[in-house]
Amino acid sequence: MRTWLRASAALALLLGVAACTSSTDSGNGAFRVGLLTPGPISDGGWNASAYEGLQKIASELGAEISNVQVSTPAEFEQGFRDYAQQGYALVFGHGFEFQDPALRVGSEFPETAFVVSSGSVSAKNVASLRFHLDQATYLAGILAASLSKTGRAGCVGGIELPVIQATFDGFVAGAASVKPDFVVATAYTGSFEDVAAARAATDAMIAQGADLVLHNADAAGLGVFQAATAHGILAFGSNRDQSEAAPDTVLASAVISIPEAFLQVAREVKEKRFQGRVIEEGLANGTISLVMNPRLASRVPPEVKAKVTEAEEKIRRGELQVKTK
Amino acid sequence: MVLESFLAAGLLLATPILLAALGELLVERTGVLNIGVEGTMLAGAFAAALAASASGDAGLGALAAVGMGVAVAALFAGATLFLGADQIIAGAAINLLALGATGTLYRALLGGTGAPLLLPSLPPLPVPLLADLPFVGRIFFSQNAVVYLAIVVVPILAALLSRTGLGLRLRAIGDHPAAASSLGYSVRAHRFWATLVGGALGGLGGATLTLAATNTFVEGITAGRGFVALAVVVFGRWSPWGALAGALLFGLASALQFQLQAAALSIPYQAFLMLPYVLTLLVLVVSRGSASAPRALGTRES
Repeated sequence: MRTWLRASAALALLLGVAACTSSTDSGNGAFRVGLLTPGPISDGGWNASAYEGLQKIASELGAEISNVQVSTPAEFEQGFRDYAQQGYALVFGHGFEFQDPALRVGSEFPETAFVVSSGSVSAKNVASLRFHLDQATYLAGILAASLSKTGRAGCVGGIELPVIQATFDGFVAGAASVKPDFVVATAYTGSFEDVAAARAATDAMIAQGADLVLHNADAAGLGVFQAATAHGILAFGSNRDQSEAAPDTVLASAVISIPEAFLQVAREVKEKRFQGRVIEEGLANGTISLVMNPRLASRVPPEVKAKVTEAEEKIRRGELQVKTK
Repeated sequence: MVLESFLAAGLLLATPILLAALGELLVERTGVLNIGVEGTMLAGAFAAALAASASGDAGLGALAAVGMGVAVAALFAGATLFLGADQIIAGAAINLLALGATGTLYRALLGGTGAPLLLPSLPPLPVPLLADLPFVGRIFFSQNAVVYLAIVVVPILAALLSRTGLGLRLRAIGDHPAAASSLGYSVRAHRFWATLVGGALGGLGGATLTLAATNTFVEGITAGRGFVALAVVVFGRWSPWGALAGALLFGLASALQFQLQAAALSIPYQAFLMLPYVLTLLVLVVSRGSASAPRALGTRES
């Protein structure tokens, strides 16, 4: 009797969970868009922007949306496969780490479009959005070198990904264009969620003389802002306008208009003119920008602002290439 | 300035791990292996964040964290001690539950894309005369109440375990539950209360993260510290002083690696990230003494 009770309870639980996760039949022809994020969408940064993009696609193109947070490469592939099997028209893999799984699953499901953020691969049905955030951090570097009194700044990153290193390289290059001997220390905490570690890393940099910091650590970036606020120095945000995160500390943010970029691609897919390719997004087409915090605008003298504007124009026209290793 | 920053950071990074390790050490001494420390810390961190942001008082946040830690531990104890679930599986389930629940609640309360949460911090409590000492004063004697508590718990727990009748019973249950039970001691009751106290300390460790080491909450803010605490318990050979040494070693090594990264040396950052773990391994290898795990660790009541 007991065994039967347990067995049926387990069965009921399984069926209940399966019912919650099963999808509706894709036969009704709805435009369905999925998103896979490597981190929580509540991070106020990289993943949050992707979610905003998804919501924009839902509201402006009437798509049915779904998003899943995945943490391991096996899960990346499984996530892509699940969406493709359910007949999704478009799936975003939000991060450089999704590019190989996208290619693999893309070859099995030619009817679904796969888009990788920060990727550099393409196939017939796979496109990559290459965000040249380093162009914006180059401008931030100009600001840093011009405003720093100690000649030293710090960069704090989460996990070392080539795209993140590229943004730091851009920052260093921008600073060097103003002051060739400007020192930039870089630290990686190994986690995009470990706020305490990011704060400790920033504290260490400030103790060693940095008076401006740039972060590219998603949710952990809050720790960088906290340390900067505690020591009264300025910081730069990334991926999204983070002025409200620390209104008296964030001088500017290197922003990627991810929602717009996502919307454009989704429109292509919906109108059946999607082509697999690497889509370059930079200052020139407006997806990348350095957004100043209006509250701290007075901290930037006019001649520094002019330098930034000049560099921005040069990058837009293609005269200046931001060198990243 | 650098040395001061390094030592202060080391202490602050060590405290959550120390608290969780002390709690877990008590639990493991009675023979229960609770690997859900990470989940307990995260739940405590979230409860602290909620309470502190709602009330504006960090102290209330700390209390809420303790309460949440006890609740999570009660869940674990209920599953393993009363329903006979496997301890490892139950612990792993707690970790998953905490991650999912805190994430879901955080998004429900603060909006899907999150808003940077600014929490009140635990105020520093300078020790009257000692805080004025030139260098040590600022680092060691101007910490917040929870740091002092963590340090004070070490000798208290050590004395409890080695010098009291209760401690003897707890250790006996951890080594040989059948013998203890044959003498009329309730194995289950001792383990239950020990698990709850362990949970309380773990939750408080989580509160230190959101109210002292940082002043915010993000999903997954514990970032594996619970598992480090588990390692620290073994490293410290299940003794409170050992746990203190382990937590301090880990905290200081973490602080050191950040100072080294900040020095802009051209050494790959991965070498620095490895530092705390490598140091821990080195000390383990070099120091002698057998690992004295409670002999009945992880087994059910006989």
